[in-house]
Amino acid sequence: MAEAVLSNPRIILLLEHFNIYVPLYEKTIADICNEKHIDTKLFIAFANLYNGVEYTSPVHFNFDQVNQIIRFLKNSHTYYTAEIYPDISSIIREMYTSNGQKEISMVEEFFNEYFHEVMEHLNYEDEIAFPYMTSLYEHIEKDMPFTESTKYSVKDYKDHHNDIEEKLADLKNLLVKYLPPTNDQQKRRRLYLSLHELEYDLNIHAIIEDMILIPLVERMEQSVKQPG
Amino acid sequence: MNKQINIIVAESSLLIFEGLSLTINRALAPVHIIHADSLNEIEKHLISLKQSTVIVNPSLIQNNLKLFTSLKNDYPFVKYIALVYAWFDPRVILQFDAVINISDSPDSIIAAIKKVTENDIPTDPGQNGEILSERETDVLKLLASGLSNKEIADKLNISINTVITHRKNISQKTGIKSAQGLTIYAVVKKIITFDNLP
Repeated sequence: MAEAVLSNPRIILLLEHFNIYVPLYEKTIADICNEKHIDTKLFIAFANLYNGVEYTSPVHFNFDQVNQIIRFLKNSHTYYTAEIYPDISSIIREMYTSNGQKEISMVEEFFNEYFHEVMEHLNYEDEIAFPYMTSLYEHIEKDMPFTESTKYSVKDYKDHHNDIEEKLADLKNLLVKYLPPTNDQQKRRRLYLSLHELEYDLNIHAIIEDMILIPLVERMEQSVKQPG
Repeated sequence: MNKQINIIVAESSLLIFEGLSLTINRALAPVHIIHADSLNEIEKHLISLKQSTVIVNPSLIQNNLKLFTSLKNDYPFVKYIALVYAWFDPRVILQFDAVINISDSPDSIIAAIKKVTENDIPTDPGQNGEILSERETDVLKLLASGLSNKEIADKLNISINTVITHRKNISQKTGIKSAQGLTIYAVVKKIITFDNLP
């Protein structure tokens, strides 16, 4: 496993989302997956995404993996809300404090509004979409008819993702191409790299949800017992 | 716009440096002229000055092309003028934004410097090679002041579809899609002022 991290530093974040932390010692991927009760096939599929492999040949996941996928996504949410978004927000604040540029204050406002939208989306997933999926799985597991009204829509979900990625790209473009020059190149670089790190993780997050989780949930919906 | 012009002159002959400084100061006030002896010294000055023009004797560069290229990459907004009084390899001369010859008249020397320094003001709208067409700029102005596509269409007497096409083109050219992002772009490019923001 250590080799995977050494050859691609981004894997360390993937591991965090799986609650795996360094040091990894000489343990293999299989060792660690067994220890943490993670399906190896699922781990490899996600790791491939972090290694930049396109998700073209869908892997068949079983219903019982839905909770593992949700745990991973929830950990990513914590990384967004408690770490990277606040980091970015504070770099923009620092930039504004140091140069007082009006354009930066507009960027700050833009980012804060955007952050608010993202929080709403993540809360929606944590409070409505994920519990719905978990409950769906429990009903299949216990072979019980599923009576809950469908509160979540797959389409809503995908629209949200496009929006989140689009505004992030806007910020990157403004920063790299247009914001007037100032003497805070280091802050700009930190901001750019943080935006990039966030974007990279969000892209994969969206792929996991749209191409792995949603198809799995759709299959679950078809096989759950209908009431009556 | 009142902008301090900084000129760094790297020329080993003090006589020529003084003569050039005098010529520049007579024609272009206020100019801050700094003397430098080497590329390293030029770089030292560039670190502390935000915007400057550098006038260099190419003899300082011809054996230091690599350093010169990296200097140009590190400070992309700086313009370089060659101060020539001997023959130099054209490949060296090609590295510069302009050339002045020691036998040029003061007027043509000043004209060359002016041309380079004036192009150098990135915040001046219109001079920085605006990439948006006039109509796209109109659409962006209204969008940034908070109008909807429908309102923009009515105001410009065009169809909503045309507005949408303009918006698509604006986004493609700038890389910015959201209305808020485009508003910031419009402010940076001085297409709209802070006072006109919704």
